[in-house]
Order: sequence, then C-alpha cells, then structure tokens
Amino acid sequence: MQKLKLIIEREYLSIVGRKSFIFMTILIPIAMVLCFAVPIGIAYLNDSGSDVQTVAVLDETGRYGGAIDDSDLYRFVPMTADSVGDPHEFYRQADGAIAAVVVIPADVDSSLQVTVYSDNTINAALKMHIDDCMSDTLTGTRIASYGVPGLQKMIEDSSVNVDVKGVKWSTDGSETETSTEIAMILGMVLSLITYMFVLMYGAMIMNGVIEEKTNRIVEVMASSCKPFQLMMGKVIGVGLVGLTQVAIWVVLLGILTAVGGSMLGLSSMGSAAELPTMATTPATTMPIDPDVAGVLQQVMNINFGYIIGCFVLYFIGGYLLFAALFAAFGSAVDQASDASQFTTPIMLIMVIALYAGIACAENPSGPMAVWCSMIPFTSPIVMMVRLPYEVPLWQLALSIAILFATAILTVWLAARIYRTGILRYGKKNSFKDIVKWIK
Amino acid sequence: MENFIEVRDVVKQYVGHLALDHVSMNVPQGSIYGLLGPNGAGKTSLIRIINLITRADSGEVLLDGHKIAESDVSQIGYLPEERGLYKKMKVGDHIVYLARLKGLSRVEARSLMEQWLERFELSEWRDKKVEALSKGMQQKVQFIATVIHRPRLLIFDEPFSGFDPVNAEQLKREILALRDEGSTILFSTHNMESVEAICQQISLINHSRVVLQGDVAAIKQSHKKNIIAVDLAGDETLAPNDALYTLLPREAGSRESLIRLNAGVTMREAIGWLNEHCHLAGFHEILPSMNEIFINTVKLNQHAEA
Repeated sequence: MQKLKLIIEREYLSIVGRKSFIFMTILIPIAMVLCFAVPIGIAYLNDSGSDVQTVAVLDETGRYGGAIDDSDLYRFVPMTADSVGDPHEFYRQADGAIAAVVVIPADVDSSLQVTVYSDNTINAALKMHIDDCMSDTLTGTRIASYGVPGLQKMIEDSSVNVDVKGVKWSTDGSETETSTEIAMILGMVLSLITYMFVLMYGAMIMNGVIEEKTNRIVEVMASSCKPFQLMMGKVIGVGLVGLTQVAIWVVLLGILTAVGGSMLGLSSMGSAAELPTMATTPATTMPIDPDVAGVLQQVMNINFGYIIGCFVLYFIGGYLLFAALFAAFGSAVDQASDASQFTTPIMLIMVIALYAGIACAENPSGPMAVWCSMIPFTSPIVMMVRLPYEVPLWQLALSIAILFATAILTVWLAARIYRTGILRYGKKNSFKDIVKWIK
Repeated sequence: MENFIEVRDVVKQYVGHLALDHVSMNVPQGSIYGLLGPNGAGKTSLIRIINLITRADSGEVLLDGHKIAESDVSQIGYLPEERGLYKKMKVGDHIVYLARLKGLSRVEARSLMEQWLERFELSEWRDKKVEALSKGMQQKVQFIATVIHRPRLLIFDEPFSGFDPVNAEQLKREILALRDEGSTILFSTHNMESVEAICQQISLINHSRVVLQGDVAAIKQSHKKNIIAVDLAGDETLAPNDALYTLLPREAGSRESLIRLNAGVTMREAIGWLNEHCHLAGFHEILPSMNEIFINTVKLNQHAEA
C-alpha cells in the first residue's frame, strides 16, 4: 500500500506540476466564458458603435411611404417618384449619404414584393426590418379590405400559443414541475464531461505507460514494485489529476460567470433605457422575471444529490474501465504512433456511446436507451442522459453492478497484459499476442 | 563461504522459446559473481527471475537460505543494462522516490541521497531535471538509485557500458567497496577484461544453458594448454627437445619463445632442463584469457549443437 501511495503521489505531482496542465486548466474555463461573452460583446459593439444610416424609400403607391419605421440603425426617408427620378442616378448623386434605396412598387398589394438597391450587399438586419414592417402593414391593409368590423382583433384573439408544462407525480401524490429541456441539457453536459474526461485522461495514461517503456525506467520500477501497483498507481494518480482539474474548472467557471455576469448585467442596464423597471430597481431587490423564476424552480426541482451521486459512480466505473484498457494497450507498444490499432476500437466505442447518448435523449425510456445503459462500455455515457428522467431503481442498480463487475474484470485482465507488455521491447504486438499474455 | 544466492534447476519458457533450461548456480556471500554469455543467451531472463520481476516456470531461487519472496525486493538493487529515468523529475526527487519504493523513509532517503550526490560530485545538480544531465551523469544517478538502500544483493547488468574510462574506474572502485562492505554482487557482462579483474566466480550461459561454471582461476587452469613463454639471454636460440616439449612459432616482435609441454611433462621438469642447457633469463606460463575461453566455449557449444 505504501508503494502504491508513493506511485500515485509521483504520478499526480508530475502532471499537476507541468506547465501545460496549469495552462490548460486555466485556459479552458476562460475559453468557455469567452465563447459566451464574445458573441454578446460583439453584438453590443456592433449595435453601439455604428452611426445611424439613411435609407430612401421610393413609394410608387403613394400609400406606404411611412410604413417602414425607423430602427436603431436606420432612418427611413419617404420620397416620391417625382422627386427622385431614376433611383440609381439619385443614389449616385447622394454620394454615400444614402445607404440604400427601397422601392415599393405600385402593385405591391398583389405582388408582395419590395426591392432594396445598394452598391453593397444588403445587410440582413435591414432586410428583416423592412420585411417585418411591410408584412405588418400589408396584412393590416388586407384585413381592412374585407370590411368586417373588428376583424383585426378577432384574428389577434384567435392566435394562441400553447404552453406544455411537465408535472411529475411522486409516489406521495405531490407534484413537481419538470422541464424536459433542462433535463436534456443536464444529461448531455454530464455525458459530455464523462466522454471528454475518459478520452483525455485515458490518452494521458497510455502516453505515460509508453514513456516509461521507451525510457526503460520500467525495468527499475518492476524490480521495486509489482506491475499491478505501477499500473494502478498511474490510473489512480491520473484520475485524481482529472478530478482536481474538474474541481478547479467548477470553481473558476463559477467565479468567471459571476464576474462576467455582473459586468454584462451592469452594462446592459446602462444602455437599456427602455427597461425602466430594471434600470431603476436596485440589483438586490430586482424582481425576477416570472419565466426566469419558473426555470429556476425547475432547476431546483432536479434532484441534484441523486444525479451527482450517480454521476460520480458511473464516472469512476467508466474511467476505471477505459483507463485500464488504455494502460494495457500502452504497455503493448513501443511508441505512441504504434498505438492506433488498439486505440481506434476504443475511440469507436466511445463515439458510438456518445451518439447513443444523444439518440437516447429523445426517448430516454426506449429499448435502445435501456440496452445501452446496461452495456458497460456505453452505460457511463448513456445513463448520464437518462438520469434526469428518473430511471427505475432496478435498472440503475443492475447497470452499476454490471459496470463495476466489468471494470474490475478489465483491470484484472489489463494487469496481466501490462505485466508482460511493459518488458517486451522491439516487437510489434497484435491483439493476438495480447490475448496470449492474458493466459 | 556460504551461498547468498542459490539458483536451483530454473526453467523459464516463453511463447515459442525456451529462455532458461534447468539453470543452477551458487553465488557465495560477499563475492562478485560474473554472469556471462552472448546476447540472447538467457542472462536477462535469469536476472529478472532473481529480482522477482518474473517467475520461473519451475525450479527455485534461494536468498540467504530461504525461498526468495516479494518482501526481499528491498534487499536487492538492480541496475539494468537499458538505463532509464523519468526525464522530467528532479535528480534529488528521483533518487528519493526510488529509494522510498525500496522501503527507506523519506528522511533517511533524503540524507543518503545528499551523501551519495556529494560522493559523485553531483550535489549542484540536485534540483535540476534529469534531462538536463549528460548521459554519464545520468548513469551515475542511476547507480546511486541502485545502491542507496544498501541492498545485500546487487545486480549489475553491463555496468560499465556508457562510462568513460575515468568514470568506469570510479565505478569499479565503488563496486569493490560495496563488496567489501558485505554486499554480494551479481555482475552480468560481455566485457571479459572486467570479469578477470573483479569476478571470483562465473557462470557462462549459452543457448539457455550453463555451459561453464566455477572459480575464475580454476577455469583458467583447466583451460590452459601447457604453453610456456621462455626468455633466453642474448641471441641464444632455444634448443629443441622432443622428449619434453614442442617448439611453437614465435610471436612477431616478441623476444620470447613459446613451447608446449608434452603430455605428462611438468613445468618443473622442462624448466629444470632448460636451466641446465641454456641461459634462462625468464619464463612464465601462458594462461588463456577469459575472452578466449568464452569464445572457445561458445563455439564448441555451437558445434556440439549443430
């Protein structure tokens, strides 16, 4: 045990002390926050930085000149055909003072077509704005043309949007509101974490084993401790590194979102004069939007203790299973480039598991979801997707039992392969050789 | 002298290849024992069995009279032929790590590490990464890691390879010092000069079998061909004597004449006769070098198998 502890300690410290580890650990949460912050920031800069542009509206009908409202970015100036003459000539003479010319043709009521001219590609926001305004106006004109009093209101009243609420009955009859979307997102996030973690750290273990082998330090190590201790020390040490990394990420992400969130919140409050309730209320007593409150309530309704507990179990089981395989395969090759014949099947299984997980999110109680959450190679990923939807207890227990039984068996097999593999040099080994080593 | 290591009838079979075929040998306590043999003969297989990296299929290894077991690992120090260290670790940390794996406490390992680094003039490198060291210095670090836990059995596989003559000399002194302190040393090599210089006994392994075994001096005696180099004063030439010896062609550039004694003739008889009939300036017996014995034995072995 003392030796195992020493090996774990060395593995852990040797990775955590690396510059690349520190770099990755700090960089990834920043990158993730940037992923969210950059589009928001860019949109903000885009809106705030540019000047209002003038667009000429040439209304050939003489009725829709004011139909297009000014927006934050564009001012629309109605013109008549007499004052403009040829639109292109008019645009050229304006010499940049006009960004575009909108032509509303005389037959717009029947053709439903409006044209925007410019010497540039027409900006999508401008097109959308014109579309919205003209559609509303023309719809209004058409409704009015039927001559039915109050038709506009009737149509508005008859258009409904049904809100489907998921409510879960628990055994004691109490009701809790659930959200399929939140459950789905949570499930996907958990399965992605498992997927990433297993692949990243599995590869790290394999490279570590190959490095020891090419270094020939393994011969000295083998004369000091059992190969099993060496392998498990690596697996556990690297696993702890992963947990450390995830823990740092959670903390960093929390801090960054808090900081980033408050900065964005402040800046939007400053510019959002049209939201007087938000701007005038102090942040501490800010009334929460009812929709947000509903989502928050639904988030709170998720049984996090249960999900995190299961996540940790599946995570450990899945990690052990794949880490042992990576260690065994690492021991069978002399250099990393030879490892692909062994890693490709693992990658395939992982990708299949990930896709199965995505598919199962649609139907988390279907036969495929149930089967894939029983097969130990896919269960750590697929079960994560199913977890937020309350999996029957017997399925959960059976799946965990199968996973751990397989993981222990795999560790045992891997140790036998490892024991032989680490001392074999200079020969390319195939799956057939590896099977021989197990005996 | 008591045997510290006894290898009894060890057999090791790998897939499609017999690595050790009923090998036995006894290594006396406190001696330096040479394990010789061409590449692929089975030396490394035997070493791995003795230091518990692998297990024999049959036969046993006794250490100090008891069957060798996992707990004996701390009594063995092993310097493999293929050296290797964790490149990214600091020299001091690395030595302490390996010492602690052999059962030393952190404090003990630290203080011994300091002493050994001092002894090999590596103290200033203690906090440098292993990869920053030259190959020779890395070899020294590895040597320290091998002996730091004061093992009673030391196994050196080609210890001198990669050392320059000055460092090889220092290493040899250290090895002899370790023997004088009571360690038993198993020494695997191709380098026959070093065998003659430091080994008391040897086993020569070829094609998985022990083909020659015993005391180095005795082996040389038993392989001698009764050749005597005779130096005569002045330009005098050696007179033939068919009853006692045969004249051999003189080696180019040598003043000495070579004679092979006839069967049943002792050196004393021949020298006595020569002393009476010529002006004898000097003589000495030509013993075969271990190198010759090695090559001849291996060749003979190959002929026998073919």
